Amino acid sequence: MKKSVTLTTPVTTALMSRDRSEGLPFFLVRVFDVAGALIYTLLGFSLLTAIWYVSSTVTEGGLPTPLATFQVFWELVKDPFYDYGPNDKGIGLQLASSLGRVSAGFLLGSLFAIPVGVLMGANAVCKKIFYPIVQILKPVSPLAWFPIGLVAFESASMATIFIIFITSLWPTLINTAFGVASIPDDHKNVAKAFGFSKWKYLTKVLMPYSLPHIITGLRLSIGVAWLVIVAGEMLSGGIGIGFFVWDSWNALSLEKVISAILIIGLVGLLLDRGFSFVEKKFTYSS
Amino acid sequence: MSYLKIENMEIAFQTMKGRFVAVTDINLDIERGQIVSIIGHSGCGKSTIMNAIAGMTFPTGGRVVLDGKEVKGPGPDRGIVFQNYSLLPWLTVYENIYQAVDAALRDLSKHEKKETVERYLRMVNLWEHREKYPKQISGGMKQRVAIARAFAIDPEVLLLDEPFGALDALTKASLHIELLKLWNLTHRSKTIFMVTHDIEEAIFLSDRIIVMNNGPAATIREVEEVHLPRPRNKKETVNQPEYIAVRERLLSLLMDKVAIDEKDFYKEEAAA
Repeated sequence: MKKSVTLTTPVTTALMSRDRSEGLPFFLVRVFDVAGALIYTLLGFSLLTAIWYVSSTVTEGGLPTPLATFQVFWELVKDPFYDYGPNDKGIGLQLASSLGRVSAGFLLGSLFAIPVGVLMGANAVCKKIFYPIVQILKPVSPLAWFPIGLVAFESASMATIFIIFITSLWPTLINTAFGVASIPDDHKNVAKAFGFSKWKYLTKVLMPYSLPHIITGLRLSIGVAWLVIVAGEMLSGGIGIGFFVWDSWNALSLEKVISAILIIGLVGLLLDRGFSFVEKKFTYSS
Repeated sequence: MSYLKIENMEIAFQTMKGRFVAVTDINLDIERGQIVSIIGHSGCGKSTIMNAIAGMTFPTGGRVVLDGKEVKGPGPDRGIVFQNYSLLPWLTVYENIYQAVDAALRDLSKHEKKETVERYLRMVNLWEHREKYPKQISGGMKQRVAIARAFAIDPEVLLLDEPFGALDALTKASLHIELLKLWNLTHRSKTIFMVTHDIEEAIFLSDRIIVMNNGPAATIREVEEVHLPRPRNKKETVNQPEYIAVRERLLSLLMDKVAIDEKDFYKEEAAA
């Protein structure tokens, strides 16, 4: 007995101190973790910039240099909200307009997708009716929907919202249906045994169980919506980040196009992080 | 007249391979206030019979009659303790019971419902843990919540599906006592029907033990009456001759098929 104690003690202390980086205070360990991750991120971007630089030298100005692009980028973000008439607005205004359309299309899509998803998940007949439609419509490119939107709403801006609506609703719909369909029998039996009303079942069993699935669906949907907005606004014109990309291309400013790409990527990342934060908040472990 | 009656019940399921008869020719008469256990090997259909009483499964033949009325579905006159606690993980201990009380006892005022929840949580000594979520409490505590939830809706019949199966021996023993205490507090008026595969548990708690044959198409093999005096207590009850005799009979009923044939061992040894 004694022997095993003397054997295990050094082992456990070694295991514990490995986690704590040899007795450093916990917050310092955390700081090092973050700094480490930051260094790798910077390394990746340096690598990308290096490849970019080499490409622009090889193509002899066909591709703008990183430096020239960052100067244009800085010009853009320095004064994002200027407004010199319909064809010359700051990048912030363009973004705000795009985000407005994305939110409108995404919200409408979610308002449609969640109830239909619940129906499909809860009811076998509903699933049989709707699932073939979902399978056919889901893979259709957003651009193919644009003419339909134009005919239906007779407005390019509304048509853009429409294509965001119709392409971003599928992940939410499918995830909601999956979440609702996978409610364990145990939970259903509790509701049955204690005579839960329809409303109580919906609010105390169905929704809490499906919520993490629904939020994952919403996260995928907002990604799709943000993906679609650029293509939509290229077609619709007027104002927005997608229109900005197309306008810059027509003005032969690749610097602006690349800057816009960076901004689109950053906003997309922020949207995703936002939903991933909400996702974590609503995930329970049983 | 008996309180809970099962008449010529047969339960069959449609499966991919055709019709599967789980139990057949089940006849039972249970008096009000009795504790009845049903025991048998896995897959003998004991849970199926309980589900039929609960109204969650429907007999394909015969019927279940409770207090003169045929069982047509689940109802607040029967409280169920499920095999795996079945607490809703997103609700606190308190809310788990409150939602059940709120759904089953619709005539009570909000204040009365809250009082009921508090009373039963105190009975199982979980009032201090009411704000915790199921994942934060032990298996024994979860089972106490489940038992409190079933009692709180004040049902005439309690249905327990292998309620203590997943617990360690000590926790199990203390929950047996707790169950009997709750039963006593309601003046032993509640009928308890329990599915188990634990012989000792069945004898300690029950007035009658139903022993099942093996499935498929399982039938009742024998009904054993337990005449141990109440209140029962762990230390003394297990030494009474009646307890030992019943245990012997149940063991021989349930274990005869799984006895080791020593001849097989000798054969293997000779071959080796």
